[in-house]
Amino acid sequence: MKRTGLLLSMIAVGALLISSCRKDPLNDMTAEESRIYVTNYDEQVDFSSYKTFSIVDSVAVISNRDATKELTQYDAKLLASIKANLTANGYAEVDRNADPDLAVNVSRINTTSTSIGYAPGYWSGWPGYWDPGYWGYPGWNYYFPPYYSVFQYNEKSVAIDMLDLKTAKDDNQLTAVWNAMLRGTGVWNSDNIDTMVKAVFDQSAYLKTSAN
Amino acid sequence: MKSIKVMILILAGTLGVHTAFAQSRPPVSFQLNYSITQPFGSLSDYAEGTSFRGWNAGFQYSLNDRLSLGVKAGFADFYERVPRAVYPGKGEDISAVQTRTLQTIPILAAAQYNFAAPEARVIPYAGLGIGVASMSYEKYWGEFVEKRNKWAFQVSPELGVNVPFGKYSPVMFNANVQYNYAAYKFQEISNFNTLQANIGLKFHIQ
Repeated sequence: MKRTGLLLSMIAVGALLISSCRKDPLNDMTAEESRIYVTNYDEQVDFSSYKTFSIVDSVAVISNRDATKELTQYDAKLLASIKANLTANGYAEVDRNADPDLAVNVSRINTTSTSIGYAPGYWSGWPGYWDPGYWGYPGWNYYFPPYYSVFQYNEKSVAIDMLDLKTAKDDNQLTAVWNAMLRGTGVWNSDNIDTMVKAVFDQSAYLKTSAN
Repeated sequence: MKSIKVMILILAGTLGVHTAFAQSRPPVSFQLNYSITQPFGSLSDYAEGTSFRGWNAGFQYSLNDRLSLGVKAGFADFYERVPRAVYPGKGEDISAVQTRTLQTIPILAAAQYNFAAPEARVIPYAGLGIGVASMSYEKYWGEFVEKRNKWAFQVSPELGVNVPFGKYSPVMFNANVQYNYAAYKFQEISNFNTLQANIGLKFHIQ
């Protein structure tokens, strides 16, 4: 009896030791360290073959409660930062009616559901995302190649999707050739925009047009 | 159970142990150690920090003055935070601060052989543990975790000394060095090799 008691108390002490010994990976993590910047790209695509781009005039705010297009100060700064980086890489911004080679969709995603299953580019099917009609292709669909891998969590994130309009002439699909996801604490904070956008362009060295 | 005892007796006999059953301490003992563990190989590439968060505990039953059998369990926590870097994949690049952790909880059947008589002032011994280890892999990309729990087969030979606090004292100081190998493969970890130093106390309780 005495032995059983001793054994049980040892197990209790053991359980306590296990739970208290571990170094918690999150409690000393800064907001900057918590963020990840993911870029996906089509490896078959020669990004230097595109010359022009057009970017949406507002940001789609996608959540499972409502869907809106917004242009807050944050959104304006985000769009300006993306434009500046694309221009610096040699792409010329044109009006969306002027036959751009690339279309750039920008979304803020705030998912609160706990669904685990997802398809790459899942946000493009949500209400609030741009209708392909915006780019002059009414009735078309978006196509995200299956090699795009996206972590799915409940969180606020930002998606920048670049679609190929240049070769969008056949199968009624606007194909995403590049995508960036900004995720983690503080991605909806405008102070972080420049660092985050610079990071996704820095890690995409292939995203440049050839010198004309 | 009986056949195991017979096997142990035969084994003890072949080892030339003839002081059988002259018990000088109660046969059941409990041992608790603090552990420091150094990872090697691919485990060290994954998380190179030495684990200072570890312990080891076990029960033993002495079959005679030289040989004992028991069970033991332990814990070690490997951790490394890697500054922001870009990790390229297939058609993908991820910029992240990685926090790489692995916690291991081995549960082993253990045998131990003493190289000295129980009345010696220092009792060196060799031990062998065989069993399984729970491997809890958690790699944080920023604040997002990629995790997987797996069980792996583990072997842990050990060399150490017990120093009784006085002749025939049931309480002994213990220090030992243990090598751990586990057949564990996951992502960038192709095997689990660690060297572990333990210090603690051993109590003969009953």
